[in-house]
Amino acid sequence: MPATLHQIETRAGAPAEDWRAIAATLSRYVRSRTNRADVVEDVVQETLSRLVHQSRVQTLVSVYALGFRIAANLLVDHHRRDSRYVAEHEEEPASQAPLPDRVLAGRQEVAILQEALAAMPPLRRDVLVRRRLQGQSCAAIARDLGLSPKAVEKHITRGLADLHKAMPGDARAPGGGR
Amino acid sequence: MNRESQIAEEAAAWIDRLNQPAFDAAAGPNFDAWMAAAPRHREVFADLQALWQSEALLQALGQAGSARVAAVAPPVPAAPARRTWRTVPRFAAAACVMLLAIVLILPILSTTTYSTGAGKSRSVVLADGSRVDLSGDTELRVQILPWKRNAELMRGEAYFDVRHERARIFRVASGTTSVRVLGTAFNVDRQGPTRTAVMVYRGAVEVGVAGKADVVLRKGDGARVVDGHVVAQPRVAAVAPDWKSGWFEASDIPLGVLIGKVRRYSARPILLQDRSLQALPISGRFHVSDTDRVLQAVQAAYHVDVAYGPNAIAIRPRGVAED
Repeated sequence: MPATLHQIETRAGAPAEDWRAIAATLSRYVRSRTNRADVVEDVVQETLSRLVHQSRVQTLVSVYALGFRIAANLLVDHHRRDSRYVAEHEEEPASQAPLPDRVLAGRQEVAILQEALAAMPPLRRDVLVRRRLQGQSCAAIARDLGLSPKAVEKHITRGLADLHKAMPGDARAPGGGR
Repeated sequence: MNRESQIAEEAAAWIDRLNQPAFDAAAGPNFDAWMAAAPRHREVFADLQALWQSEALLQALGQAGSARVAAVAPPVPAAPARRTWRTVPRFAAAACVMLLAIVLILPILSTTTYSTGAGKSRSVVLADGSRVDLSGDTELRVQILPWKRNAELMRGEAYFDVRHERARIFRVASGTTSVRVLGTAFNVDRQGPTRTAVMVYRGAVEVGVAGKADVVLRKGDGARVVDGHVVAQPRVAAVAPDWKSGWFEASDIPLGVLIGKVRRYSARPILLQDRSLQALPISGRFHVSDTDRVLQAVQAAYHVDVAYGPNAIAIRPRGVAED
């Protein structure tokens, strides 16, 4: 049974306003990863109820870190289930491609991100490709490119901040955020 | 630097730290404190984490990555004759197309899906000489490429006897768990999307859980990965996995998992809809290939009713009438 916010407030040790902030943060994250309202609700509820459970059986190193990890895993599960459903009905092998609604919404995003990547110093772009696309560790990137681990970190951090800046509207600062 | 870009850089630094294989325990409280400090911290972090994990970013990086390869690829002769200059771009273009074809098409062509129905098992030899035994109701996708060997357990359970190759790692993914090996024999049991059991019979493997530290298992070791947590299993002296003889050793396992195993052998679907029954902890040694005997044992030892319908078998809490 998914826990309601009320149950969470009465059952878990943390103060109610903390849980409210956690819930709001996780829904913002899940909403940007999928545009299916039913999945958003499911994933957020399930994440919160697992977080509450975990926080009662052990002291958590970081409630936010665990929350984001649970939510990400649940999103993957949902996606898998959806692609299997499609496959069974069309009798075709399940595709690794994103759902059609994500493809449409994503096309514009891809174009914006590509532009931002093209505007970056080539070394920074290379570091991002290696880290995110090829899954190389920071240490391996530092070794391959002859950089210090600190410099690799800096490139990833700056690069991500650049990409974030390029994203439009609500995904960024409401009202400019200055 | 203005306030907004400072927050973005701080959030990005946290994302990078959280995505390291081992998240430093001391950093946890600092991260929570940073998140609690301001609503804008939480918003920017949520947006950045979604961006970092998005399909859109992978696609954009993929194009940037192939552009990088293409920029390196054209071989320019050291001392070209005048006439050859015209052909260089053509060669370069052809090389790019071929490279792209190798990178894009080879993985598709070299993926093979093996599956079994309930009650069946199957032994296959892969292109690299490794052997895989599939249990019932199992689906395995295998991709053997010149530079890597990948398998994904979509459902069910399989025993791997991997041919040793120093250069090509063999990787098995099962839900959020992944197992990395060079050459060894081991069993992977996918009990749910975030629940997988691994047992090693020869050599050693490395078990990784979605973005968390890897655990090394050696001969005789077993581990259960549940929701991102790795739990060690009692050591085994066996030379082959239990399922090959149709048995399953359960110690404090949810009933849902046991029934999942029985389903791999049962001709009729087994329904277990009650959520509290799904989670009911079960212990014992069960002959899972003998559906009726397992269900009788469960019925006798735990407070449940088993109803045999014409098309399916239903398990319910005792005393709950059929609707």
